[in-house]
Amino acid sequence: MNTTSPISGRILVVEDDRRMADSLVSGLTGYGYQVSLARTGEEAFFLVHSTQPDLVLLDLTLPKRGGLEILAQIRAEQLPTRVLILTSHNSVDDRVTGLNSGADDYLGKPFSFPELLARVASLLRRLPAPPRSASLQIADIHIDTKAHLVSRSGTPIDLTPREYDLLLYLLEHRNQAVSREMLAKDVWRETSRFTPIDNVIDVQMARLRRKIDDPFTTKLLLTLRGVGFILREPEQ
Amino acid sequence: MKFLRPTNIRSRLAIWFVAILSTILLLYISAVFVFQYVLLQRQIFHDEIQDVETVEGLLYFDQHGSLQLEQGYHTHQQSRLLEDRLMEVRDLAGNVLYRTDTLKGATLGGTALPDEGIHSYNERSTTLADGTRVLLISHIHPVQGKPVLIRLGYSMAPLHDRMLYFFFLLLVATPIALVAAGFISYSVSRRALRPLVSMASRAEQITASNLHDRIVVENPDDELGHMGRVLNHLLERLQQAFAQLQRFTADAAHELRTPLASIRSTGELTLQQDRPNASYREAISGMLEETTRLNRTIDGLLLLSKAEAVQCDSEPTSFFLTELVHEILVLLEVLVEERQITVLEEYENAPHEPLVADRSLMRVALLNVLHNAVKFSPDRSVLRIVYGSIEREGHIFHHISIHDSGPGIAPGEHLRVFERFFTSAVHQATAFRGSGLGLSIARLIIDRNGGRINFEENVVNGAKCCIELPISTKKSKTA
Repeated sequence: MNTTSPISGRILVVEDDRRMADSLVSGLTGYGYQVSLARTGEEAFFLVHSTQPDLVLLDLTLPKRGGLEILAQIRAEQLPTRVLILTSHNSVDDRVTGLNSGADDYLGKPFSFPELLARVASLLRRLPAPPRSASLQIADIHIDTKAHLVSRSGTPIDLTPREYDLLLYLLEHRNQAVSREMLAKDVWRETSRFTPIDNVIDVQMARLRRKIDDPFTTKLLLTLRGVGFILREPEQ
Repeated sequence: MKFLRPTNIRSRLAIWFVAILSTILLLYISAVFVFQYVLLQRQIFHDEIQDVETVEGLLYFDQHGSLQLEQGYHTHQQSRLLEDRLMEVRDLAGNVLYRTDTLKGATLGGTALPDEGIHSYNERSTTLADGTRVLLISHIHPVQGKPVLIRLGYSMAPLHDRMLYFFFLLLVATPIALVAAGFISYSVSRRALRPLVSMASRAEQITASNLHDRIVVENPDDELGHMGRVLNHLLERLQQAFAQLQRFTADAAHELRTPLASIRSTGELTLQQDRPNASYREAISGMLEETTRLNRTIDGLLLLSKAEAVQCDSEPTSFFLTELVHEILVLLEVLVEERQITVLEEYENAPHEPLVADRSLMRVALLNVLHNAVKFSPDRSVLRIVYGSIEREGHIFHHISIHDSGPGIAPGEHLRVFERFFTSAVHQATAFRGSGLGLSIARLIIDRNGGRINFEENVVNGAKCCIELPISTKKSKTA
């Protein structure tokens, strides 16, 4: 299943809903993270100190001690821990409150798991994302990021700016599923959650596929029904 | 203290009424008192002058050379006793020649004033030795060729007595009148306010379960009747809003339950027997698609509630309508190209003023409308966007019409398409199926910005959506 190289990282999941917690733990463990779980705020306090996680996935609505209180404590003690807030309160105000109290990122429930993985990976990189290398490659697709030139098997492919951005995003998340929400947010830069552009994304993806996949026998850009899309290296 | 600060309106009205009435009465009585006193004093002086003119003709020196008053004119001798006139006659050297008995030997007015009684009657008031206040006049008159100074006065005591009597009379009568006025005003205001009591008791009984009840209005033309009608209109709006909310909740539950049912039955069916992996994959994909639908419905509902609340806390910015439409067209460009739709933009005296609104919400509204138009447009058709202006009640509105060549809107559904979760019974194309909230959201946002949106009914082909947005005259921050 997992074709990415496992990124080492200790993650503390603070979540009181058992099913949600279980799927987070098993999902993240499957991607090679060391995951511990706290179901209450008290437990979270203890585990933050004993396991010293690199990242805390924090549910804001917890019994006894609220998520924001834990966050405040982590920041007050100046622990080098990153915090990603997960919550079902999705309004902009909550987002601002969360980020103002020192969270590194914020993800509203229900989120797509690919998006969570992408956020976790980017937070655990700790350092700012490495400068984009001059050229990127997957299988026989080659992107010259300086000249914005794309070719496959040496054949130049003419892409519109949007198609180029889309391919670049897929390539940066190679072998990782990307959801339509992620694309809407990161490629189309749509901030509102209720913008009906799923078919815009689908059509754009179909056009991209027509250019980079259709003329060739090995298909790299796949649709995962119900999940999104994935640019996958062919299995040899 | 509690008694002095009554809580009900009728007592307060009565107390106010009595207080105002007593103040007015007090002022009135004092004015009348002063006026009356001055008038009576004037009258006394007048009478004295009449009297002195009469009396001086009756003075004569008798054979002993002493001054006498002719008494012969009294037909009844007893009438003399009625005279309470005070009179003193002196010669010009100041010697008293005559003094009436009523003075009881006291002098009237003391030493003579310079030129007393020559040019005027010297009206004045003075005090006798026994303390009686007297109004006094003087007059020089020759008696048998010898000039004498006549002083004539009346005691003020009877006047003071009468005024005192008058005062006591008022002292007794005024409180009685005030108490009566208080009672009357209390009962009048109680009667006038009685509809209020019945309205209040009726309103108290109205709860969410009997919002259809109305307050009884006795006289629809008076203030309380007006109040009652206003309350009834309020109840009607509440009832409508409540009914709408109930319908909306039911619809929302239905819309949320449908994908849930689908997820559940897919899961149940899939697990009933062992299947190949591909079949599980298929089932899970289907379930994920349904969760996306659920999620979109919830996002739509949240956006609706956000747009409902937008009036108070939104921060409007100023932007150009055409610029926003172009931004949306760029977003939809890939669909337009793929379907080979031609977008024609026309300008018919479009106003140059920017629009003032919450840009992100307005973008959602216009995106929903334009997206619909593109979605329903057949391949290789024309989508016509016309920018113009329209005047309504003296205000200029932006007018933008979006005319597609799609299947159009079924007769009778031109308004219903804006209802939440509305799906046309005519076009059952599930390919077009959205959340059913897009147009409701668009209408809510446009309504909240003082605009209007509707589909034109007399359109031959396709659907023509007309949007009007006010040109704000208010100053606002520019984006």
